[in-house]
Amino acid sequence: MTIAGTRGVWITTTEGTDSLESARMSDGADEVWDAGDTGCGDLVLELRTRLDGMRAGQVLRLVARDPGAPEDIPAWCRLTGHTLVAGQPPVYDIRKES
Amino acid sequence: MANRFCVNLTHAKDNTDKATVAFVIANAALGSGKETLVFLSVEGVRLSQRGYADDIHEEGFAPLRELMDNFAKGGGTIYVCSPCVKKRKLDEHGLVAGATIVGGVKLVEFLSNGGACVSY
Repeated sequence: MTIAGTRGVWITTTEGTDSLESARMSDGADEVWDAGDTGCGDLVLELRTRLDGMRAGQVLRLVARDPGAPEDIPAWCRLTGHTLVAGQPPVYDIRKES
Repeated sequence: MANRFCVNLTHAKDNTDKATVAFVIANAALGSGKETLVFLSVEGVRLSQRGYADDIHEEGFAPLRELMDNFAKGGGTIYVCSPCVKKRKLDEHGLVAGATIVGGVKLVEFLSNGGACVSY
């Protein structure tokens, strides 16, 4: 599902999450994706697809509640070359690099 | 020579022989100066739960609990497959020493700079 968030940011949710909560968290991000409990390979494959659709320098705010995400997201950024601007589980700001 | 060694373990009480030998080999790698990872997946994730391995003692081997304790004390790392934990509804907070719940990316990263991996 896709909804309009604050500052004209598009927020998409994978599961039935609170859109108002997501909207508050969108400040400072170009896009927000609430991945819910999605984890492991499913999470990073979708994450890659979403970043592929963004421009270099833009920030995706990821909300990921999978218990493996606090370890996986920083590792994924190191592997792919994108920058983890801020990470405070379950919220991760990832800047797309070229 | 790569300095990383990974033991992928997919069994617990469904095959205590494999579970035990996996940690014997992991300790051998650790004792040989390797940065050693045990990746627990599938049924193997049950070993991540504190107390689960207490009654596993294969003839001819040290008790599994002792092997796992020694591995953690020696600086070994245990990664626990997140979706495998969720599927089995295990306690994410009742983990043994040295264990961390991760997704597959952490395993990929560990092996990306070279290193060997054996599976049990």
